[in-house]
This record gives sequence, structure tokens and C-alpha cells, in this order.
Amino acid sequence: MALPPPDPQFVLRGTGAAVHTLHFSCGGKDPDVPVLFSGSENGFIHVWNLKTHRVDAALDGHGRRSVYCVETMGSKDRLLSQGRDQRICLWDLAEGRTSVMDSVFTENVGFCRCSLLKLAHGRWLMAMAAKALGEIQVLELPSKTSVCTLKPEVGAKLGMPMCLKLWQLSGVSQPLLLAGYEDGSVVLWNLSMGKALSQLVCHPEPVMSLDFDLEKAKGISGSSEKVLSIWSLNEQQNLQVYKTHKLVNAGISDITIRPDKKILATAGWDHRVRIFGWKKMKPLAVLDFHTATVHCVSFSDHKSPGERLLAAGSKDHRISVWSLYAQT
Amino acid sequence: RELLRELLSELCACLAARSEELQLAATEALGALLHSARRGAVLALYRPRGLPLLGLAVSLLLGLAERGGARHLKVSALRCLQALVLQCDCPQHRPLREDELQQCGDLFASFLPGISTALARVITGDIRQGHKPTVAAIRLFYLVVGLVMADAQLARVPPNKEKPPAEQSRITELTVHRGPDWSRSTAEKLSLLLRKVVEFSSVHPHWKVRLELVELVQHLLRSCGQSLVGSFSHLLKALVGLVNDDNSDVQSRSNEVLRDIAEKRIVVQNRALADVLSENLHALATALPRLMNSQDDAGKVSTLSLLLGYLKLLGPKINIVLNSTSHLHRLSKALMQVLELDVTDVKIVEERRCGPAGSLQLGLLRSRHQRKYFRFFTEEKVFQLLQQVCRVLGYYGNLYLLVDHFLGLYGESGLYRKQAAMVLNELVAGAAGLGVDFLQEREVLPNVDDLKGSITSILDEYTDQANWYLTTSIDAEDASPERPVQGPGLAARAGGTCGSLLLSPEPQVTTHTMNSNIWQVCIQLEGISCFAAVLGKEFRLLLLSALYPVLEKAGDRTLLISDTALGTLVDVCEACGYESVQRLINDNSDYLVNGIALSLRQLEHRAHAAQVLDTMLRHSDASLLPLVEDVIQDVLSTLDQSYSNQASVFLGVLHSVMTALVQWFGSSDQEHREGSAAERQSGALCQEPQVVTGQEMERFFLDYIKQKQMAEGDLPDTGGEADEDPPLAKLEPNSSDPEGETPLPSHAQLAKDVMERCVHLLSDGSLRVRLKVLDVLELCVTVLHPHRNHLLPMAHRVWPALVTRLISDDPLAVLRAFKV
Repeated sequence: MALPPPDPQFVLRGTGAAVHTLHFSCGGKDPDVPVLFSGSENGFIHVWNLKTHRVDAALDGHGRRSVYCVETMGSKDRLLSQGRDQRICLWDLAEGRTSVMDSVFTENVGFCRCSLLKLAHGRWLMAMAAKALGEIQVLELPSKTSVCTLKPEVGAKLGMPMCLKLWQLSGVSQPLLLAGYEDGSVVLWNLSMGKALSQLVCHPEPVMSLDFDLEKAKGISGSSEKVLSIWSLNEQQNLQVYKTHKLVNAGISDITIRPDKKILATAGWDHRVRIFGWKKMKPLAVLDFHTATVHCVSFSDHKSPGERLLAAGSKDHRISVWSLYAQT
Repeated sequence: RELLRELLSELCACLAARSEELQLAATEALGALLHSARRGAVLALYRPRGLPLLGLAVSLLLGLAERGGARHLKVSALRCLQALVLQCDCPQHRPLREDELQQCGDLFASFLPGISTALARVITGDIRQGHKPTVAAIRLFYLVVGLVMADAQLARVPPNKEKPPAEQSRITELTVHRGPDWSRSTAEKLSLLLRKVVEFSSVHPHWKVRLELVELVQHLLRSCGQSLVGSFSHLLKALVGLVNDDNSDVQSRSNEVLRDIAEKRIVVQNRALADVLSENLHALATALPRLMNSQDDAGKVSTLSLLLGYLKLLGPKINIVLNSTSHLHRLSKALMQVLELDVTDVKIVEERRCGPAGSLQLGLLRSRHQRKYFRFFTEEKVFQLLQQVCRVLGYYGNLYLLVDHFLGLYGESGLYRKQAAMVLNELVAGAAGLGVDFLQEREVLPNVDDLKGSITSILDEYTDQANWYLTTSIDAEDASPERPVQGPGLAARAGGTCGSLLLSPEPQVTTHTMNSNIWQVCIQLEGISCFAAVLGKEFRLLLLSALYPVLEKAGDRTLLISDTALGTLVDVCEACGYESVQRLINDNSDYLVNGIALSLRQLEHRAHAAQVLDTMLRHSDASLLPLVEDVIQDVLSTLDQSYSNQASVFLGVLHSVMTALVQWFGSSDQEHREGSAAERQSGALCQEPQVVTGQEMERFFLDYIKQKQMAEGDLPDTGGEADEDPPLAKLEPNSSDPEGETPLPSHAQLAKDVMERCVHLLSDGSLRVRLKVLDVLELCVTVLHPHRNHLLPMAHRVWPALVTRLISDDPLAVLRAFKV
């Protein structure tokens, strides 16, 4: 018989607003305290110390407008955040500083999270939704030079980009971009040619979130309806539907595959976090703790597998942290 | 030179005379002679050739000392003898050179058996001879033994006897070769004598004798550390025993000597001595339980101080002992048995925290005065000694090893659990160097991380469910803080279910086991405060796991436990640098709320969560509200899921919540009210229309309530409520939309939510629940008072249920309902 789902290991309270995004930074060496960044609706980015379970710092850089994407660039001292004030800020947090070094004005009013990819040491590629409808702009950071702008073909009614995932096969230098659009299709873009390689209609509703496993060349996307769609990418760089998985309740706001590609977590509008085995999409657990929509899920990047954590941020202002299937 | 010899032999002849006066005069003359003679001349006497003559003098003097009638004669003989062996303490003599000492040592070796046995007889002789001869004899004894058996001299003695010159062969036969064989056999014999001497004089009634004994131990330990190893167990035993002498001089001197020994690292460098000590320790540890059982309190004190002394002397060498399993086993078993608590006191189980008003200061006073009662001793001193023993162990010993061992004992059997916890607490304190009375500094200071590691593991063990949630009273598990009139069925059921879920292997809980459980919890709590003291601010990190259990116990209904827990809270506060308990709770409320929220999710832990929340609220203030609000919403939603069985638990919480709200916001509302009144007056000119609206609304509501009351036909009941109304507008004049709902402050919102739940619970089956609900309701009304337009609809909803109560319930409930 299956064990009852566990309780959260602990719950972080005190963001004072709905939590929209989470990002761990736990890979540091010993004296470094593992931290969790959270971005919330009131425009604050909280830096949670995972040893004391307390806020080390609260960063205010988006004019009290909702922060919906937080990423680290290399170490926990370099932070990228994206907010509804249409800005992407680059933070310098080293030695206790809390200053915005640079910012990019996106001119986009949507809530499409940007995607980061490390090219070389100190060079990053960032994809973000651009001002014009349906366009995606790719920049190089920190120089902010534009690499390309990806425009949908004339006549293709993709709608706004909803979620992005930049990736690159190691060895192959060509970065690729997966983008989920408002009309429910997922498009694979070639950045150097600036053209769509493949397009796949996965959902009848907007794609809310997607994640891609480059080892297995398989990806998963969720939308506002009840179905999770798993698709694969063949050698000809064509996207194909691999299988679909039906859920009980509609609405997925975030999907994350654990870095070891063994399990994945979905954040549901039904207040629940669901855990699946990635290989066969076997449902493993339903984590029922939050009392409002779960906005985001994130796995930690701890070095040792035993310490790995899962965090879920919700509209009920709480962040629940779980220790799950750590040994498997 | 010849003259000296002649005089000596003459005097010897006189010594042998009958008359005491003559004997006395002769001894004095002999003493004077030896003193005044030139060193060179005297030394010439101390050649093997002079042996017969010296022997005669020595034996005569010894005879006098032993059999002489008058006291002063004895003393005089002994002093003279001292001069004769060239060890007199007169200042005018220069100390002997090394080779001279060696020479004398060789010579006196032949007299040693005679001198030592005779002196031993003098020392152990009749007490009526007074202390002076004894003191003199002891001094002479250690001087002679120290001279002959000195390590330095024995080391220089060649292993083989030199070829004696032929002409002196007869005399040479008399001399003794101090080879290894000789020294071994002599040491054995001396050990017997020493033992007798030590045993006799350590209990000698006169303090000077005991003081001299201390000197003896010091002298022998210092000069004969190698040769007399066999006797050291007795010597040290005596010395350690004398540390607790009644006489302060003896006490301080023996302390000094002990410190001296430790400082010189005699023990550390001398493996043999360490072995002797550890043997002694082993023997003592074996005998300890028996001794503690049979001796009186003074005896126990001395036995324990002996144990303590051994440990202190061993110092860093203690690890040798601890590394041997049998030693460690003995020692720990002895401690376990000695520390056994007396758990027959029924009062502890009976004493209950009555009412929620557990004042902090009062609780502290009580817990400080609370003593532990041990089975084998009653004296506080004994306990202090045992404490010291554990601390010294922790100070020198390998902390990991010890903690591991005692945690093993802790888990091994319930019989040892309390004692092991006590020992562990003291060990940790000792390891951190808190309150340790030590003789020598450790070489290695303990690493804070190691300490923290050990503490964390102990803490985990303590707060483990099986060790923390013990049955401490028959209904302790169901945690409603007040249980006035009995509801035996419910109590038993609630207690029973929770108990069986937690641990309680046997359904029959005797007073004994409850008492013992109470003590265990208390000891564990004390442990936590001790750990906090050890770690200081570092402990803040551990608060994450420690604070919740402590607060839980602070809400316990057994007086002793809650008092101890409060004491622990205060200690933790101090250690972590918080200025007050309130601060502590406020600053760490996130941890607590986390714990509460998680516990609420589990049925069997809900009661504990309620306790914690209760305590938290009682010791905190309004700044807690945002977090607490969150958790109270949880409580309410949990309550919604389980009205039937846990209502009483949650009502307790709700009650304390509301009490807290009334406390926190009662006064602020008063201010608010006044403030709004002032605003109204000042704003009267510009905002007249609005104010009028407000007043109109108020009038409307007042009318409404009157009408309602009329309609219910129950005017006097709500009269109290109406009386409290000040004729002022409660509506905020600035509110842009006076007709709509003004946004409620969070506390009022809470009160409203709570009130809503109460409506449902008013018709609960159990009388106690109903009473409770009415209490809560009353508080709700007080809180909501300033927010009339929310209160009134609520009141309207409550009304029907209330009326039903009024009409058809027990008189007690009716009475309470009237109040509402």
C-alpha cells in the first residue's frame, strides 16, 4: 500500500503576498548557506536562508509590481529577476550588497518568464517575449546585444509566447529555443537562422509551462486544461506528441523536471503539487498543503542527493519545502 | 673526628641508661653535638666504617621514641634521630650535595627496615601519646623513606654490587646494595607500612597529624614516583579524601598538593601511576553502588569526593580509562544506580496548573526551588559531587565516546533513561567547561562544531516522539487547559486514543510511571536549557527544532513540567541573548507557527499544537498577529473538518486566541475610538455630510438592535451590551463608501471568523463544549465591539442559537448565556 503523502519539511511564511517564482541556490561550498529566492506579487524578492528558514534579505527592485521570474547567473551573488514593471533586473548580491547593476526594458506586458542559457563563462543568452505580439527577442548578457528576434510566420496565429526554454546540446554549439504559445502550440526555434524548425499543437488552451529533458529529447507541457502533454524531438528536429496524461483537475501553472531527470513536479490550480516519475509518467504523490493556487515549483540544486528539496510557492503567501524521493 | 666518635659512643652509653632525665639530656646533647659539628667531620662518620656505631645510636633512639615514657622525651628522640640522618630542618645547614646524599642513602638503606617499622609503630601507637610525637614520626618517616627510596638515587645505583675491598669485608656485609631487586622488595614492605600509617593517621583526630600526612604524600610522590608506585593508591586515596577534611588548613593544603601534582603532570607522564589510578577507579566504581547504599551521608560524600579526585588526577589520561569497555561500563552503571530518582512522591502528579494564569515569575521561583529526590541520598552536597564527577568526565573525556555510550544507555532501558539524561546534561556542560572545577587545563579545547554535533544528536533523541510525549497524567494527552467539571467518559476516551497512538506500551499507567515520566521530561527540559547555555548564541540555530517542544511542555498541565519548561525558556532567552521570553517567542514565531501548522495536519498531534499555540499567545503580544492569523485560519479549517471529536481542544485554543486579542487590542481600540472621535470633531466642518451619514447609520443600527431585542423579547439580556455603547460613531468617517463593508482590521476579521464557528458549536452535545463556546463568544463580542456593522449581522446569526440555549439547557449554561 502506498504511504500517505508526507508533510512539508517546513513552510516559509512572511512574503506577505502571493509567491510567483522560486529559485534555489544550494550548490555552494560548505560555508555558503543554501538559499532560496522567491519572487512575490508585492514586488519583493526574498532571499531565504535555508539553515535558519528566515529571510536574509528582501530585494525591492520592481516598483512593487509582481515579480514572476528569478534566476541566478552562476552563483547566488548574481541574480536576474523579471517583473510586471516590464523590466528585467540584474542584481549584484555579493558581500551583502543589494543593488541592481543593470536592467533590460522588455516592453512586454505579458507574463512570459524569460529563459537563461549559459554560453561560456560570464556570457549568457536570454530569451524573452518582445514588445510586438508573438515575437521573442534573444539577448546576450551582460552586454545586452540583441542576437535575434524570432517572429512567427505571417498568418500563423500563435498568439503571445507563454513560456520559453533555451537549451543547447553539449558539444553542439547551436542553441535552440522551445516556446509555448497562447494557442497551445509548442514551437522549436533555431536561433542562428531565426526560423521555426518544428511546430506542434499540444493543447487547445494556452501553454502555461513547459520543461525539456535534453538527454531523452523529451519535453512536457501543461496548460489551463486537464491534460499534460509529453512530446519528443526526433533526429530531424521534429516535435511529435509522445503521450498525454489526464489529470483530475484542470490548470497547471508550472512544470519542473528534477535535474537528475527522475521525477517531475507540477503546480496545479487545484492547490496541489503532483509528483510524477519522468520515465513513464507514473503518478507518485499528490502534495496537498496549500490553500490556494500553487504558482510555481522548483527543485534544489544540492550537490548531495540526500539533501535535495522541492519548493512550491502559492497564492496563499506560503512557500512549502518538501524532501521527496531524495534517495532514489 | 675521633673526638666526635668518642663523644657519640659515650652519649650512646648514656642513652642506654635507666633514668629518664639522663636519657633526655643525652638525646639533647647528641642533637646539639650533631648540629654543632662541622659538616665535614660528621660526614666522615657516615662511612661504612661508622656503620656499627651509627646503628647503635639509631636503635637506641628508636627504642626511646617507641618506649620512652614522657612525651617530650619521645619528641626529642625523634628530632635527634632526624638530625642523625642528616635531614633536620634547621636553617644553618647547607643542603647536602648529590654525592653526599647518595652516600647517606646507601648507608641508611641498612637501617630502613628498622627505622620504618619502629616509626610505623610510633605513628600507629596509642592516641594518648598526643599529636607531637606522631607528627614528628611521620615527618621522619617520609624523610628517611624519601631519602633512601629516591628515584634519582636508585637510578644511579649500578646494577651489580661493587667488589668490596677485602679488609672491610665484615662491615661491608652490613651495608645494603640498593639494586632493583632490593628496591622492589623494600617497596612491597614499605607499602604495607605506608598503608597502615595512612589508614591510621588519615582519621587521626588531630588536624596537624592529617596535615603532616598530606606532606608525606607530597614528599613521597615527588621523590619516589617510580619506586613506590605500589603504595600510591593508598597515598592518593588518603590525599583525595583529605580534600574534604573538616579543617580548612588541611583542606587547602591537600588541594594545593593535588593541584601541584596535576600541574607537574606526574600522572600524565607516569604511565604506571595512571594505571594505578585507573585500577582504583575501577574498584571504586564497582563498589560505589554498594557504598552508596550502605554508608551514611558523610561517608557518601567522602566516597564520591574520592571518585572525583581520581578523575581529576587522571585528567587528560581519562580517555585511557574510557576506552576500555569494562571501565566505562562499570563507571556508567555506577552512576546510573547512584543517580536513581525517588519517584514515589504522588504530589507531583497531582499538582496541576490551575487556570491559564501561569505567571512567569512565580513559575520560575517554583521551578528553581524544585528539588530532585534521589533514592540513595538526600544531601544536596552529594548531588553536587555527582554533578562535578560528570562534568569532569565531560571536560577531559572524549565527548563523542561518552555521549554515544550514555545515549546508548538512555535508549537501552527506561530504568536508566532519567539518569542517563542527567549525566548527558552534565557531560555537555562539562565539555564546554561550564562550572567545572578542574586541576589542569585541557590541551585541546573542544571544537564548537563537535559540541554542536553532540548536542544536536542528544536533542534529537530527547525530542523524539517516543521520549517526549510521555504519559504524565491520566488525561494529560488531551490538552484542553481547563477541564472543570468532570466528563470522565470523554476524558478517558481522548486520553486513551492519543496515548495508545503515541506510545504507552502498557495500558495500566501507575502513579509511579507517571511520576517518573514527569521527571524525565523535566530532566530533558533542563538539558535543553543547559545546551543553550553551552552554545550561547549558536543555539539560535537549534531553536528551529527545540523551541516548539519546550513551548509545548510549557503548556503542559502538570505543574512541575510547565514550570520547568518556563525556566528553560528563560534560560534559553538568556543564552541566546534575547531580552525577554516575549522577544524570544516573537523573534522565533515563524518556527513555532511552522511547527504548529505541521502538527495540525496530524490527528494525534493536534492537541500538542494547541498547547503550543496557547503558550505562545500567552507570552507574546500583538506583533505576532500576522503570523498567528495564518495559523489560526489553519486551526479553523481543521476545526471545520472535525467538529465532533476535537472540538473541545480547539475551543481551548480559540478561547486563548480571543483572550489574547482582547488583551492586545482592547486598549488600542479604546485609543482608536477616541482618535476617531477627535477626528470627527475636527473634521466636522469639512466633512459634515459624511459624518452625518455615519451618525445616521449609527442611529439606524441602534434602533435596529433595539428593535431586534424587542422582537426577541429579551431586552434585559442584551442590556449589558447596550450599556457599554458610548454614544459615538464607530464608523470611520473617512471611509469613502460608508454603506459598504469597511475593510476590517485583521484581528476583528479573526474574531468574526471565530464567531461564525461558534454559531455551529453552540448546539454541541456536550455541556462543557457549550459552556466553552459561550465563553469564547463573549470574548468575540468584546473584540468586535468597535466594529458594530460587522458585529450586528453576526449577532443576528448567533441569536437564534443563543435563545435556544437560554430556553432549554442546564442552569449552568443558561447562566453563562445570560452573560453573553
